[in-house]
Amino acid sequence: MLEFSELKKQFGDVTALDGLSFQVHPGRILGFLGPNGAGKTTAMRCVFDLVLPDAGRVSWNGKPLDVATQLRFGYMPEERGLYPKMKIGEQIAYFARLSGLSRSDAGRAAAAWLDRFELGDRADAKLEELSHGNQQRVQLAAALVHEPMVAILDEPFAGLDPIGMETMADVLRDLASRGVAILFSSHQLDLVADVCQDVVIIDHGRTVLSGEVTELRRLAPIRFLEIEVNGRPWTTELDGIQVVDANDRRRYVLDRNAAIEDILRYARQDGEVTRFSFEPPNLTDLFREAVGR
Amino acid sequence: MNRTRQTFELARRDFVQRARSKAFLTAMLLTVGIVVMIGPILSMIDQDSGPTYVGLVGELPPGTGDSILLQAGALDMDVAVMSFTDMELAEQAIADGEISVAVNSLDELVFRENVQPRLAALAIGGVAAAQRGVIAAEMGLSPSEVDSLLLPVDFSQRTLEPAETDEDQARQAGALAGLLLLYMSLLMFGQFVMMGIMEEKQTRVVEVVLSRVRPTQILVGKVVGIGLLGLIQILALGASAIFTLSIVDIADINITDIGIKVFGILVLWYLLGYMFYSFLYGTLGATISRQEDMQGVAMLPVLLILPGFFLGQMALVNPDTLLVRIASFIPVWSPMVMGVRVTVSTVPTWELAVSILLILLTTYALLRLGGRIYRGAILHSGAKVKLRTAWRSAAQ
Repeated sequence: MLEFSELKKQFGDVTALDGLSFQVHPGRILGFLGPNGAGKTTAMRCVFDLVLPDAGRVSWNGKPLDVATQLRFGYMPEERGLYPKMKIGEQIAYFARLSGLSRSDAGRAAAAWLDRFELGDRADAKLEELSHGNQQRVQLAAALVHEPMVAILDEPFAGLDPIGMETMADVLRDLASRGVAILFSSHQLDLVADVCQDVVIIDHGRTVLSGEVTELRRLAPIRFLEIEVNGRPWTTELDGIQVVDANDRRRYVLDRNAAIEDILRYARQDGEVTRFSFEPPNLTDLFREAVGR
Repeated sequence: MNRTRQTFELARRDFVQRARSKAFLTAMLLTVGIVVMIGPILSMIDQDSGPTYVGLVGELPPGTGDSILLQAGALDMDVAVMSFTDMELAEQAIADGEISVAVNSLDELVFRENVQPRLAALAIGGVAAAQRGVIAAEMGLSPSEVDSLLLPVDFSQRTLEPAETDEDQARQAGALAGLLLLYMSLLMFGQFVMMGIMEEKQTRVVEVVLSRVRPTQILVGKVVGIGLLGLIQILALGASAIFTLSIVDIADINITDIGIKVFGILVLWYLLGYMFYSFLYGTLGATISRQEDMQGVAMLPVLLILPGFFLGQMALVNPDTLLVRIASFIPVWSPMVMGVRVTVSTVPTWELAVSILLILLTTYALLRLGGRIYRGAILHSGAKVKLRTAWRSAAQ
């Protein structure tokens, strides 16, 4: 288990991390969320000593990280970058060797990742000759070529088209199924909800919400009710009940134990109820609620 | 994973990628080609040199040719004479380069373009001596008396200080060539290090690398990889220079031996100087991430190297003056100044040892200092990072 414990980091007057704590478990995918400047990248950099925390520590299975352990982690930084003029096959093998693979293993692993991304026939192409999407794939391959036990991915879905996103999601699911602990940050909340089992939401350098996505939704104190009568949104004001209007839709915000049968009966008085949904908040709602924005 | 193996991988990448670049290969082949051509050209020039011919035309005192040869022998000049029936033929011979001067009766000396005073003096002296011989014969002196009258005075010659031999000159020429090559190599490969580090920052690949290795390893790997490339270039140029010099056959000088000595000294001081300057270049490279900032930052090492280059030239002619001796201990200049001193003169062993020790210690200090600045600056992209900011960032 990768554990962030009470991490604190100050850059001049700016507090980047303020006692941040959470865990990433083997075989699970954790979505790391937070507004810009919340401290996500700083926390991820702490794993590789790219930033040294003022207090707190990152540990693996209860032990502080050492160089040998860090080498068994994979990292894809937010600021993408590889050598533009280097052949991609050589480049991926190079990063594998830097992570400790032998020359022959590195070559085999690089070829396997290129095949996986359908770039096997372009191993001798320079990075700069590839499309943006393929460059992203090579970037991911460079991060994962040494079969890490932990993958730290900063915004891995940024800039990908829908097909690229699906490929990326498949890769992450596959890694998790093989026991890899995955931590990735993203601003695409629907995607996070789709891919992750766990989520940590941070703001101002501290955790504001964390847990299993389904559990967090289930335990949320509110539910959203949406009704359509005669095929149109039902917009009748209800005493003491808050509403959220967006895009010609009206959602009623109810307590999770609210007596919805009474509301359904009331709606039927206006016509035929053609749609009725009573759902827990989605990840976007939880995020907004958690960061108060 | 062994740190040394990682550093080797870092060095290997820089070496291989840069060695493969067309720009490097072209420059290398071109310079080696030029150096290899020097030998045959020098040989051709050497073959062309033979006796200087003096043409004799018209009415001249009998024995003028012999008299000129006698004078030339006393002056240690390699001269031969040719006779012409008329001035037109002599002028043609001058134009064709067959003779260097024509003595036209007792009237004039004719040269091709410029009057050569030494040759003129020889011709005038030779003709005058022959004329004196005629007059002496007319006065009734016997032929042997005339001969002894015309015999030049046989002066022995000496100098107060040891004369500069051809070997000294060859050593100076070798030291100058070595100095130039060292100066160019330090600048060129130092800038390669700076450029490499700046590009890794610019392309942001450095963060991916840093997740696997320590900052100092990157700095050392780059310096070693590119330094090896520089060493290979020097070896190639040195080997081709020794090869080309072995073609030239210069009497009394073992030019190949001198070449090997210069070469050995050059390799030693290249390694010492390169390590010092490349860590400096590398450290400065970490503070920038844009091509346009590079020129300004690269000025500092150039300003440090340049005086060393001029002091090295001073050392060529005066290797033991106080200024040169002091400069040969100062690490920013010692590679060039001490390198030249040991080539052209005999330097006490302790001076050499102290000079090497000083540059090694300074290089180590620079590595520690540079490593910290590198660590503090390398993840700051965008505008140039001040050295003080980088120093403080590294502590955070």
